[in-house]
Amino acid sequence: MSENNHLKNLLNNKMQRRTFLKWSGAIGIPVIAGGIGTKMLVDHKEETKKAVAKDNEKIISTCSINNCGGRCVIKAHVKDGVVVRVSTDTQPGGDLSTPPLRACVRGRNYRSLLYHPDRLKFPMKRIGKRGEGKFERISWDEAIETIASKVKRIGDKYGPESRYVNYASGQSWGLHGGKSAARKLLALTGGYLNARNDYSSGAGNVATPYTYGTNNSGSSFDSLLHSKLIILWGQNPSEMIFSTPYREYLMQAKKNGTKIIVIDPRYTDTAIAFADEWIPILPTTDTALMDAMGYVIVTEKLHDQAFLDKYCIGFDGDHMPDGVAKEESLQNYLLGEKDGVPKTPEWAEQICGVSAAKIREIAREYANTKPAALIQGWAAQRQAYGEQFMRGGAQLACLTGNVGKLGGWAAGTGYWSRSDIVYPFSVENPVKASIPCFLWTTAVEKGTEMTATDGLVGTDKLTTNIKAIFNMAGNMLINQHADINKTRKLLEDESKVEFIVVSDLFMTPSAKYADILLPGTTFFERYDIGVPWCFGDYVVFGDKTIDPLYECRDEYDVFAEIAGKLGVKEKFTEGRSTLDLVKESVERTKKELDPNFPTFEEFRKQGVHHFKYDEPLVGFKDQIDDLEKNPFETPSGKIELFSKALWDMNQHEEIPAIAKYISSWEGPEDPLINEFPLQLISWHYKRRCHSTYDNQEWLEEAAKQEMWLNPNDADKRGIKNGDRVQVFNERGSLLIDVKVTPRITPGVAGIPQGAWYTPDKNGLDQRGSVNVLTSQRPTALAKANPQLTNLVEVKKA
Amino acid sequence: MTLTKSIHTQLQPFMQSRQNFYKILYSLFLDPTNEEILFEIGTLVNFGELEEFHEGGGILACFFAQLTTENYRLEIEEYHRLFVGPGYLAAPPWESFYRSKDHLLFDDCMLQIRDQYHQFGLKFIKENNEPDDHLLLELEFMIHLSDLCLQPSETDEILELISSQIHLHQEHLSIWIPNFCDRVIDHTKSQLYIGAAMLLKDFINYDLASLLEIREALANV
Ligand code: SF4
Repeated sequence: MSENNHLKNLLNNKMQRRTFLKWSGAIGIPVIAGGIGTKMLVDHKEETKKAVAKDNEKIISTCSINNCGGRCVIKAHVKDGVVVRVSTDTQPGGDLSTPPLRACVRGRNYRSLLYHPDRLKFPMKRIGKRGEGKFERISWDEAIETIASKVKRIGDKYGPESRYVNYASGQSWGLHGGKSAARKLLALTGGYLNARNDYSSGAGNVATPYTYGTNNSGSSFDSLLHSKLIILWGQNPSEMIFSTPYREYLMQAKKNGTKIIVIDPRYTDTAIAFADEWIPILPTTDTALMDAMGYVIVTEKLHDQAFLDKYCIGFDGDHMPDGVAKEESLQNYLLGEKDGVPKTPEWAEQICGVSAAKIREIAREYANTKPAALIQGWAAQRQAYGEQFMRGGAQLACLTGNVGKLGGWAAGTGYWSRSDIVYPFSVENPVKASIPCFLWTTAVEKGTEMTATDGLVGTDKLTTNIKAIFNMAGNMLINQHADINKTRKLLEDESKVEFIVVSDLFMTPSAKYADILLPGTTFFERYDIGVPWCFGDYVVFGDKTIDPLYECRDEYDVFAEIAGKLGVKEKFTEGRSTLDLVKESVERTKKELDPNFPTFEEFRKQGVHHFKYDEPLVGFKDQIDDLEKNPFETPSGKIELFSKALWDMNQHEEIPAIAKYISSWEGPEDPLINEFPLQLISWHYKRRCHSTYDNQEWLEEAAKQEMWLNPNDADKRGIKNGDRVQVFNERGSLLIDVKVTPRITPGVAGIPQGAWYTPDKNGLDQRGSVNVLTSQRPTALAKANPQLTNLVEVKKA
Repeated sequence: MTLTKSIHTQLQPFMQSRQNFYKILYSLFLDPTNEEILFEIGTLVNFGELEEFHEGGGILACFFAQLTTENYRLEIEEYHRLFVGPGYLAAPPWESFYRSKDHLLFDDCMLQIRDQYHQFGLKFIKENNEPDDHLLLELEFMIHLSDLCLQPSETDEILELISSQIHLHQEHLSIWIPNFCDRVIDHTKSQLYIGAAMLLKDFINYDLASLLEIREALANV
């Protein structure tokens, strides 16, 4: 048999026997299969040669614009239009004036943000019931047309106050983004209801200025190299990055021999990395500990009387504001001379669980070690009476005279900033009415009934409830707002909010509630400039590394087009693209703020700019050096330990004029604890930035979603490490795995915040999304979120 | 010359049949939205003839026998849930997802298949906007290569083209498509997509084996 015959046999016999082919040889083929109109592979002849000569890998420096306090140099290695690898700042450490800005564990996952298969890829409209998650793909034209007509219709029908841009932080600390784009559009077409404050330091932002006149009470991190003692009170910079280089300074301080104390209900990663001592405490009782420290300091005469006399109002009877009785002084309160309760360590021990001996010890240590930095995190102010915690810390800093001194720290909210850039994209809203951002659900439900007591300002009364919401790159629409079940009901009622636009990268729990859902861009696909939170002397260039994937678009461009439909495009863009905004910011920063600022090309090439200073910034140094010339920005010009403005509000129980421990609802002294015996807190988890990245599998491997419970509490309930449990209270119920660990205070359960709400058919959350358990009751003064104030019970699932 | 011609002619039915098969698979995995595609397949293709020897064929026969406008809509929904989104994709239809360490798109294997397109003078119309390694693109590429085999050419060329298809199988299709099909089968209750996945998985296997045999035979011609 010849070889040719062999082939013949193979084809005729063996092949013929293959029924598959016999079958397919005889069938009709749908026209569409490989038809001209459907071909996706097109001729590439001319470019073949060029394509063979491969692109070399290019490294493009950029930075992420999420709501992380840090801002890191992210280097995209781009080949043939694809980001093949991501690396970070390679600059060596050592020189603290130009600290390396290296990505954290989340940053190592950034490529997966870009190339995750689940990215939203095209615009959509809702087709099911709101929240059900059913959508249909639409064209950009339809999306833009729909938004334009709804914006107009709802504005015409209810007035501009019916339109609201929800607090959202998925894109922040850049020059442009969905939130500003939506606000600009609304501002140019009649206006929108304003929102103030935030969910991060909401109570503090309102409270601290009553003491200091400002929230800028912090000092630059290099000042910590001069501290002898650092107390991190509820602050966890190892996981919750406040500024990329912060930890580097803490490490250096530690090396210098500075003692570091961490006060926290959990033995955090920060405590592990930095602390000489961990002081566990019950949530909501921090101010009791502060009061007792104050008591010790004052009764043992360790306080800085000269400082208090010169700079402060309200420490003792001789320094009270006009018209207020001497008895109302801070000293009187601490000694219990008016209320009959001396704030002794023994008194506090009963409340906060820290032993009286330990309280005495740290009070003495703090008062005697000069200079000392008491730095407050914001966890303890996301509590029912968070304002007291924030002012209480400032009070201790004043008692010990640590304000305005190198190596000291004024406590309070603690922002600091001395390096700025120009933000060329600005919004002027013709509507003046403003609500605290945490009360947006109230404004949906009964906005027209809100008054000044609810924090409404700019108007006496709202003319309408919120009817349209723009939720741009944020998860506050349901996941990150308190009391998910309550919010869900509100949003499901389509007669309340009539129109919801969401823009995001993924189908987040909030995105499910969209009527129109837009696919946004990652930072790899846009131009921007990133600055850290209010801490840090650097800015990072956010270069566009590739064109937007799929049909994703920058919100700036989308809203510019909507503006076009409504006849205000020119006012919206002023002829500028996002790249123009970046260029303008650089040019104007150089011209208006800092001649040493690099040019656009230099900045792009360097990827980062470090602002250089000869000496540390010390919060309130000017005031302390020369009070006459530089008074505090308070009504009295001094530090107001006693605030007359608060006093005049006449709600002394919940809004005292001096910082006081107030026994908290859903705290350890609330009788409800008999029914729900565990205090539940949450924390910012290293695997997420708030709720961003929760869907990233690799990060779940790095740190899984699990609840911490002390062995005592676990034993009582027959719970073992790794068990799945149900956590519940009157507001909701969730399932989560447990980590049984002595790293959390007995009586306290801790769930990392930000997990994506994943209800089963009965509404039982399967993912451990903490906000099914949190409350919408706002804090007393700021009307801020009390999301770390909860009582719950836990049982085996 | 006559010999060459005859090889080409001899191979013709085989090449045509497998191309048809790829076209059917391609059509089964097309987005059914806005098209009457499923009705068209149902009319043109009798899966009943496959029933006896292939489970997937049987399932598809059943499915098409019962296809109505009403369940058409459900299949569209299911297609989107599995392959399009929005949201979590139960069975992402891109090679990179199955081959990259972190289940991402736009991975190395995508750049490699892009290279292959380029070598054949082709380019994905949405290059660098969407991934080049979507199931439908790779099938379209296979259909294209088999088309070239159908055009009269020298034995050497035919051999080379067959080798290219084997290469495409061994470097791409046969590596990831079986995993993709398993994932579809595990994640859906749709008769259409279970059947289609079973058929795709087996045909890919079978086609590679056939091509290898043919190449061996041709090499000896
Ligand atoms: S999450 Fe923050 S610290 Fe981590 S890489 Fe991104 S910007 Fe840097």
